[in-house]
Order: sequence, then C-alpha cells, then structure tokens
Amino acid sequence: MGFFSKLFKGPEIDMEKSNANSKKMRALFNQVVENGDNYRLIFGYTEDVSRFNYGFVHGSKTKIGNLIVGWNESSQTIVVVPTVPDLSGCGDPTYYRRSEILKAYRNKYPTDAFIIYPDKKGYIGINAYDWLEDEKLYVYVSQEDELAAFTDFFINRFATK
Amino acid sequence: MPIGEIGAFLLFLVIVFIIGNLWFHFVEAILRQIKKLFTRHKKPPAWHPLPPDKED
Repeated sequence: MGFFSKLFKGPEIDMEKSNANSKKMRALFNQVVENGDNYRLIFGYTEDVSRFNYGFVHGSKTKIGNLIVGWNESSQTIVVVPTVPDLSGCGDPTYYRRSEILKAYRNKYPTDAFIIYPDKKGYIGINAYDWLEDEKLYVYVSQEDELAAFTDFFINRFATK
Repeated sequence: MPIGEIGAFLLFLVIVFIIGNLWFHFVEAILRQIKKLFTRHKKPPAWHPLPPDKED
C-alpha cells in the first residue's frame, strides 16, 4: 500500500533544497541590486529557439537562460538578473520601470510568458512556473505563492494593455 | 520481413543517426570558431560569484 501510494504520488519537492536555493537567489540579487530587500523574488527563464539547416541535418536548438526576477510593487519596477541553474553566480541587473518601458503583457500562445518591451528594438519573455524538476536546466525552487503574487502584480499593475 | 533484414535496416538507421550527430557537432564547432574570431575583442559580460555564506 505504502509503496503504491508513493509510486502514484508523482515527484515530491525537496523543500530543504528549495529553501537553500531561495536563500542563494536572495544573496545574489542583493549583491547586485541596490536595496535588494525591497524586491520580492521569483525564478524565471528565457527560451531562445533557433532553427538550423546543416545540409542533410536540420532541426531547432533551444537555449535556456536562467533569471532571478525581482519586483517592487510601489515603484512598479521589475529587475532581471541572469544566473545559472546552480546559482554559483549572476550577471548585471536590468531594470524595467513601468514608466519607462514601451509595453508589457502576458502572452497567451505558445507559452504564457511575461513579455516586456523596453523599447522598439527588443523584448524579453520571462517564463515562470511553480516548480521545475530538471536541476540541470533550471533553478530548483518551489515558488507557488511568489509566482501567484508576481502574476497578480504583472497583470494588474505592470502590464500596459 | 526476415529478422536479418529488419536488423540491417535498424543498423542503417543507427549509422545515419551517428553520422548526423557527428556532422551536426562538426558544423557547430566550425561556426563556434568563426564566431570566436569576430568576438575575441569583445569584453565578456560581468559576472558576480555567489558570496560566501555568512554562517560559515
């Protein structure tokens, strides 16, 4: 009975690992963002899909970029910090202030990504989920409540349409 | 279809798969080297390692 209930329960989240990674995310974020504690954090990622055709071999390649996404409700600012799945380091932050961006919206298809256009030249698509199991590709963190809060902030107070 | 023919066909598919993979990595390596030639003077993006844990 115990064996079968465990078998059908599906993957379980290692909360100890998740909490340790949450702390690392906070340490990295606060290191590069001034007054980092004023931001709430989630883990997100970008997907860069490119097609290739090398003669008789063709297909598509997907590059995943891990991100620490911070948001501040009062200043209506989203800060994106690039990182790696093991959280051994991070890059420089990029600030998206609602007053300065061109537009922002929640995508519907092909993914429900959070799209921000800082200007006409480019955009960032942030994908975020409650938890992603693949530790080699994504940061191992459980973030159900934080993701709900971010989604609410983005749709109701940050999105421009 | 005799088992031998099925086996030969599967072997053929495996060989095509291996050659395809080798070709893919070969072209990727060449493209990477070409890209490196054009970006060698570019400054690498800033990277901040995780600060040591304060409790340690």
